[in-house]
Amino acid sequence: MNNAKEIIAKNVFFLSAVASAVMILAIFGFMIALGIPLFKAGNFLAIWTGPWAPHEGLYGIWPMISGTLWIALLATALCLPLSLGTSFVITSLGSPRLCKMLGTLVRFMTGIPTVIYGFVGIFLLVPLVREGIGGPGMCVLTAGMVLAILISPTMILFFTNSLLSVDVSYVQAAKALGANRVQRLLYVMVPRATGGMAAGIILALGRALGDTLIALMLAGNAIQAPHALLEPARTLTAHIALVKAADFDSLEFRSIFVCGIVLYLFATAATVAVRLILRKREVPT
Amino acid sequence: METKNKIIVDGVSFHYGPNRVIDNVNATFKTHALTAITGPSGQGKSTLLGMFNGMWNDTPNARCTGEIQIRLGDRWISPLKKEIPMPLLRRKVAMIFQEPNPLPMSIAKNMAFPLKLAGIRDKNIVKEKVQRAMKQSFLWEEVKDRLEESALNLSGGQKQRLCIARALVLEPEILLCDEPTSSLDAKAVGVIEELLVSLKSNCTLLVVSHYMDQVRRIGDQVMALEDQGLKRI
Amino acid sequence: MQELMEKLAVFLSWTMTLVLCLCLFIFLSYLLIKGLPSLGAELIFGKAEPLRVLLGHDRVFDGIFPAMIGTFFLVILSAMLALPVGVCSGIYLAEYANPGMKKLFGGLFDILAGIPSIVIGLFGFSLSIFLHNHFSDRFGPCLLISSLSLAVLVIPYIVRSTQMSLEELPSNIRRTALALGATRLQNIAYVLIPNALSGISSGLFLAIGRCAEDTAVILLTGVVAMAGVPSSLLSQYEALPFYIYYISSQYSNPAELSNGYGACLVLLGICAVLFMFAYGLKKHLSYRMLYRV
Repeated sequence: MNNAKEIIAKNVFFLSAVASAVMILAIFGFMIALGIPLFKAGNFLAIWTGPWAPHEGLYGIWPMISGTLWIALLATALCLPLSLGTSFVITSLGSPRLCKMLGTLVRFMTGIPTVIYGFVGIFLLVPLVREGIGGPGMCVLTAGMVLAILISPTMILFFTNSLLSVDVSYVQAAKALGANRVQRLLYVMVPRATGGMAAGIILALGRALGDTLIALMLAGNAIQAPHALLEPARTLTAHIALVKAADFDSLEFRSIFVCGIVLYLFATAATVAVRLILRKREVPT
Repeated sequence: METKNKIIVDGVSFHYGPNRVIDNVNATFKTHALTAITGPSGQGKSTLLGMFNGMWNDTPNARCTGEIQIRLGDRWISPLKKEIPMPLLRRKVAMIFQEPNPLPMSIAKNMAFPLKLAGIRDKNIVKEKVQRAMKQSFLWEEVKDRLEESALNLSGGQKQRLCIARALVLEPEILLCDEPTSSLDAKAVGVIEELLVSLKSNCTLLVVSHYMDQVRRIGDQVMALEDQGLKRI
Repeated sequence: MQELMEKLAVFLSWTMTLVLCLCLFIFLSYLLIKGLPSLGAELIFGKAEPLRVLLGHDRVFDGIFPAMIGTFFLVILSAMLALPVGVCSGIYLAEYANPGMKKLFGGLFDILAGIPSIVIGLFGFSLSIFLHNHFSDRFGPCLLISSLSLAVLVIPYIVRSTQMSLEELPSNIRRTALALGATRLQNIAYVLIPNALSGISSGLFLAIGRCAEDTAVILLTGVVAMAGVPSSLLSQYEALPFYIYYISSQYSNPAELSNGYGACLVLLGICAVLFMFAYGLKKHLSYRMLYRV
């Protein structure tokens, strides 16, 4: 009996899991370690709420936080009706063949690289917005619209899964009582799927908060916080990509690690929120 | 200890979490006999069977108390005390389940699987053992020309015979059968019953069944598992 | 009134679906119209001769060949790093961990999966700084660092798909081998993994697709616009997604822009193929492994 093999295997598996998990803490640790000089040098509060003007010695990342929130929230808001409608069609309103095609289409969309969305957005959408609506073209609205399309597969798939995992017996009961497809959807499936759908919204929001390329290519990267949809903005993610070329020892450079910390915390908050919601749903009523 | 006894059960209880599933069971099972264990559903017959081949040893919430002694060769082993590694025990104490469970592979691969686990690789030895076990299980003639086909395509009765053959390929001394015919049609039931009785010459059989007529048909010794424990009837 | 609301809901749902499909249609057609004309040997090899390039005699300066090679190496390296660790972790979580551990690790991996890719890139970048300062000057953002970072990015996918496909195996398959005398490791190796192969390989292909399309991570860890075919693990490299990004802001003539569209099609094609493999190869793999005698 090769007991040694068994024990070695078990430990190898365990260590792999530990190594992967340790990554999470390592990432956060590096952010903090490298961002510390900025905390030490500047006014702690000013970093989170002040403006960004490195020439004047101001390293506030508030404009970027604001930009991130504007674009991500807009994208989620635009994506919501889109995903709701599509998931309704896929789960209830469409014919089986259509639903299968739509499902494949949505899953195909998850494979489209972000950079290609951005590329098409620059040359197709930006001029459209600039001439059709106004403003510089590269703004919160443009980025928000493209981002909404980007995150829609996530939301749609989540909505669809939640609606379809509603207990079949409830739906059948409603059917037997004379409810048609729409009524079964609206009055039985949706109310019982709200938890999963909320999780889907938060998950999509998390993805929107963390996206780099769309904002980098389409939002204009101005350094002021935006106050209107047609104004340009810079997100935390784009800021990291742009400032990377700066001099390593400067405080300007260190700011990217602070941005990293904020993004890390946003993402973790979203993930934890989703887990809590989903766990509550698992409790049988 | 008498050489005619194969398994001795002494004051055995089984707890799953806070529930007491089996309480203070005592019994002896004789060699080369088919002992049928019956009783109302949910009383713990399958649970008791699982204690003989250590199926509960890795289950976190399960607690077994009491003594079980099994004679393998001329040694007495206790499966509850992990005196030998479970894989070794299970080569001598084999189990058949209610739902036939051929692995999703060809018939030949299914049959050779236990040998592979035990490290027996020699093709000739494998062939010989597989053929013998399949003949013992009344299966060889029916499938000898389609050994490469998927085992999942066999009928219910054939699948169960395959599982029995697969269990026999390592020549176990004890065969535990947990409701072996409950999921089969009437014709297949008869074949399996005949098969089990024929295996008495090779090993000791413990058959759990909730069909009273089956139990009386095939059992040399019949025991009922009720609230008060296991008693002979 | 209620009936009106119901009809409105139906109408809006269909409208929204139509809007989505329309956007997708416009997006794809625009890409095809602009990109198809430029597909060809010149897109990939530029002015150099394909055969000479493939044999290593010539360098390509105005084609996407170096970027394609870069992406290829990136994907292979990341997969080699992420696959063993991810599968072993998934096996641990599905087969050995107690419920408390499962929840803990599950939560940690979920968090890891949710971290924005640029933060992972930042991590890789910090790692290269650390190595540069403490070990050797030769370290810096490079192919190795990028692959490591991408591996960290995709490990959660592999862990989750391995864990889920193992846990979804029906319980009678689990018990079968054990009852026949298999040790835990034998059960995992001979029965459980082969039966879970479809799920695991699907996760692998999704992870590979993710590595191929990612831009944010490589932006911070070593990708550049002009580097030719990567000569070593510690060298900088080109990659398709970055080429596309670079062209979008730095193109100097219509020909280059056209190349950009062509590159988009190539990248889209690669990702679409990987995606199809993820969903199609599943069953085929399991079938072949189990039926050969």
